[in-house]
Amino acid sequence: MLLSIALLVPWVSGALLVALDGRRRAVAWLAVVALAANLAVLGVLAAEVSTGGVAQVVTGGWPVGVGIVLRADALGVAFAALSVLVLLAAAAHEAIGGVRSRTFPGLVVLLSAGLTGLFVTADVFSFYVFFELAMTASYALSAYGGKRRQLRAALVFTAVNLLGSFIFLLSVAGAYRVTGALAMDQVAQRLLTVNPNAAVLIAAGFFTAFSVKLGLFPFHFWLPTVYAGARPAVAAILSGAVANIGSYGLLRFGVALFPEQLRLAGVALVVLGAASIVYGGVMAVARGDAAEMLAYSAIGQVGYVLVALGVGGPVGLTAAVLYSAVNSLNKALLFLASGVRGALVAAAFALGALSVAGVPPAAGFVGKLELFRTGVVAGSAALVVLLVVGSALSLVYLFQVYQRRFWRADPQAVGAASPLAQRLLTAALALLVLALGVWPEPLLAFSGHAVEALLAGNSP
Amino acid sequence: MILAFALAAAFLFGSGAYLLLKRDLIRMVAGIMLISQCAVVTIIAASLGRGRAAIAVAPGDPVSDPLPQALALTALVIGLATVALLLALVHRAVVVFRTAEQDRLAATEAAHEAALERERRADREEVGPAPEEAGPAEEEPADGGRAR
Repeated sequence: MLLSIALLVPWVSGALLVALDGRRRAVAWLAVVALAANLAVLGVLAAEVSTGGVAQVVTGGWPVGVGIVLRADALGVAFAALSVLVLLAAAAHEAIGGVRSRTFPGLVVLLSAGLTGLFVTADVFSFYVFFELAMTASYALSAYGGKRRQLRAALVFTAVNLLGSFIFLLSVAGAYRVTGALAMDQVAQRLLTVNPNAAVLIAAGFFTAFSVKLGLFPFHFWLPTVYAGARPAVAAILSGAVANIGSYGLLRFGVALFPEQLRLAGVALVVLGAASIVYGGVMAVARGDAAEMLAYSAIGQVGYVLVALGVGGPVGLTAAVLYSAVNSLNKALLFLASGVRGALVAAAFALGALSVAGVPPAAGFVGKLELFRTGVVAGSAALVVLLVVGSALSLVYLFQVYQRRFWRADPQAVGAASPLAQRLLTAALALLVLALGVWPEPLLAFSGHAVEALLAGNSP
Repeated sequence: MILAFALAAAFLFGSGAYLLLKRDLIRMVAGIMLISQCAVVTIIAASLGRGRAAIAVAPGDPVSDPLPQALALTALVIGLATVALLLALVHRAVVVFRTAEQDRLAATEAAHEAALERERRADREEVGPAPEEAGPAEEEPADGGRAR
């Protein structure tokens, strides 16, 4: 019941809001209210499933096996709540500053419907449908602003990600061909007995599709143009909410559907992740523009998630969940802060920078700590060294930008300060990052439950 | 039959990928459309080899799996919507950039890079106030990036 409400709230309000003129303040704030309501419902749902429970709905009242199953476990709800939180922050950011296009508020709410559905579905094909719903909304969003840079960003983003979506669809067709099922648990069971070559091929297809979404190293080529070209609020949405599809997909499909293939590819994943970390870090240091630097930093940061996933086991997976959560908050904070000027913003940006680098008071420290534990458990000195180098690089590039942006003596170059409410919003996001770093137990416990839920679906 | 479907899907994907690598934006869209059709053909092929279509079969006859056809319909509709969106974006790009060549678009991007580099140099040498961030490329006239 709660699960249906969590889907219906953004769906209905999004469909209504798209029809209204989003440039009016009231409509923009209605979108914010709808997102807040969605987040509240997801919060209640999270409290329900946090102790290992599962909320399940079979659509249309069909018997299980015929109807599409929606199943919310701790992992899905965590990612859904996180993504909606980022969307809420970005929508509020734009609502305060003044929305510039008719469709923006409605599209953000529809995106939240797509994301919520995607994170709670237990069916491979309806995953694709929600995935496309979310992606279509974000294609339209990436053109928000309507200037040349945004338009080019939208073209690149749409073309590359459509290709990724069709590769995903091809993999779904392949999975159906070899297993004859679409429900995730059935697919997982039957995959154990199919021809291993076919299974590896399908797993590679899913991996490619999610890596394109996430912007991992060999698939990252579209990302800098898009993140640097889009407006700050949209960049925050893309890197903080839409990229979550990639990390969730890798976790869900990798661990629950293809555990055997994941184990086989473990080393390859760690190597790819390491390449992502080093490449993203080095390129980010070389960039002067704040938005471009953050884009390359995003490539580096998702590398950590892949490394943790490649190491695997409960410790590695917990680190992967935790780090993707922290990373999406960091990126939302940094991109939003990069679009705001005036007092308080420098402090918020610095906090985000410290969090990315993994310096203690911020939430990033907890994420990095879990990653170090992963490295130690894997017994690999090279991995630990890599993590240290990656963190050092991120400290260098972020404070380069900090220096360039906030230590400018020339007041003309800084421009007019943004509205106080916008700055306060950024500061609130920064405080959240700080709070999660100071009091990390809830986040740690929840990631633990999420991984338990993920692995529990595996064992029977 | 499976072989025919596999060949058709491979041909569609191959031509789609070839078109996707072209410079012209319209061809790129056509390439994506072909790849989307390749996915649909693959879905249909996933149901083969299990008897006749589920419409008007005599009792007792083997019936083919109807589910992939529902999936193919859904995929077609989604593909239609996304390709329409992409075409709208391309149209907008052609109106704004006055070209459908990716090179020209990239040239505009290069002009933006150059503007950024100027700003960076101005920063280093501390000559006058730096121009507004992210501004220059957008405000430049349409032919700003044409000179290659």
